[in-house]
Amino acid sequence: MKEKQKKFTTVSIPTALFKKVEERIKGTGFTSVSGYVTYVLREIVAEEEKTEEPFTQEDEERVKTRLRALGYID
Amino acid sequence: MSERKVLVIGLDCAPPELLFTGFVDGLPNLKKLLQHGIHARMKSSHPPITIPAWMVMSTSKSMGKLELYGFRHRKPGTYNEILLANSYSVKEKTVWDILGEHGKKVIVIGVPPAYPPRPVNGYLISGFMTPSTEKDYTYPKELKKEIENLVGEYVPDIVFRTEEKDKMLKQLHETTEKRFKVIEYLMENKPWDFLMFVEIGVDRVHHAFWKFFDKQHHLYQPGNKYENVVKEYYRLVDNHIGKLLKLADKNTTVIVVSDHGAKRMKGAFCVNEWLIKKGYLKLKKKPEKTVSLEKAEVNWGKTKAWGWGGYHARIFLNVKGREPQGTIHPKDYKKFRKQLIKDLEAIRGPNGEKWDTQVYTPEEIYPDGKGNYPDLTVYFDNLNWRSAGTIGYNSPYLSENDKGPDDAVHSHYGVFILYDSSKEQGKKIEDINLLDVAPTILEVMRIPVPPDMEGKIVKEAA
Repeated sequence: MKEKQKKFTTVSIPTALFKKVEERIKGTGFTSVSGYVTYVLREIVAEEEKTEEPFTQEDEERVKTRLRALGYID
Repeated sequence: MSERKVLVIGLDCAPPELLFTGFVDGLPNLKKLLQHGIHARMKSSHPPITIPAWMVMSTSKSMGKLELYGFRHRKPGTYNEILLANSYSVKEKTVWDILGEHGKKVIVIGVPPAYPPRPVNGYLISGFMTPSTEKDYTYPKELKKEIENLVGEYVPDIVFRTEEKDKMLKQLHETTEKRFKVIEYLMENKPWDFLMFVEIGVDRVHHAFWKFFDKQHHLYQPGNKYENVVKEYYRLVDNHIGKLLKLADKNTTVIVVSDHGAKRMKGAFCVNEWLIKKGYLKLKKKPEKTVSLEKAEVNWGKTKAWGWGGYHARIFLNVKGREPQGTIHPKDYKKFRKQLIKDLEAIRGPNGEKWDTQVYTPEEIYPDGKGNYPDLTVYFDNLNWRSAGTIGYNSPYLSENDKGPDDAVHSHYGVFILYDSSKEQGKKIEDINLLDVAPTILEVMRIPVPPDMEGKIVKEAA
């Protein structure tokens, strides 16, 4: 039988923190503590993965060529 | 009461002259939004170009605050080196960042500058500054595979400055079809409270085909085979908008916006050729053929000013202590600039006709500006003439663009339409500003508007 890829897993956080988060998300669009924690963690992970140089030299040349062809760099 | 959702349809470059009047009768879905919603002309940024205009709209922050002045910035202390804008150039929060913080699920597609894809509380697809489709252009990364399973290669944009019109037109339609297929898929299969996309094809079709339909264009030829291309492209987009409207429920407010307008191009004015003629720009050697300034032999030690091309001109002064071989003493800066402004404003057209040229200093348009802005921002004949940066011509006036065919220029007003199916409005309201869009979206979704947003809530939308 083909094993279905598991999309979610469980992590443990202190109950007190859970309760605090539960309070915090009341009245916002976050419907669960899991949803909020996932959002915050994704932000942090993405921030860490972010590089100061978003384009490699090759990328930069490609984009410049495109921008010239589009009339934005003349 | 159910919580309101917002669908923002971005049509890059769509002018009120085509959307509100010229083409509207052939566009049943947009016409419905106009007839039952509210609409206004929307003042663009200075200058009215894609970057930064979409971000001014999305953050409700002026360009000076954003420190974002265009697709490229001059690298400080250099003459020719440039820095490209990217998604991380935007330090202020966008409306979807704020919505995400309030737990709203968002989907954002192609709102420039969108590369690299930044994290959102939902899904994001980058736009036309993506270096190649081999790169990760989605957030989260896994979305890319889903998109490619759906439509194959997802090319965010086309190159329009080509004489191969038929090939380009085919690509344009394919790109647009794929984008809407992706949007429809996301609307149906992902949770969202806010969905915004930008269709860049509208801008491309204007630049590539304006002269074929606009009878006032100096290159218009009656009966040409591309006469209906722009109108037909608008119909294609309208047809897809119709499908999106069916997918949106009655709790969804629909907003249609453009970042700036468009109009026919009268020609290109070679700004550096003019600066040479006036003695402000000195060459070591006259080029034998047309070249860009970066490839020309410029005598920087004797040059006072140089310019960049584009739909507007950016002019830089060669200031002692700021540029490597500066010639203008800082104490003479304002005096020199004043004279240059006077000379620029006095430029007349090729037949001696008076031009309505506007020249802006950074103090006027970026009062809180930081970062790398030009010393002067110039709209030749109110943007009717674009700026060409290349040199090596006998005359500074070109009837066509210097770097591949381009028939349209930008104009200062884009469009704003807001439709809420529970309200019967059907009226044109006073002109609004790009800055007003983000606070209006937040108000519609009942999210507090941060006090540092510079725009106003469109009161008829509340």
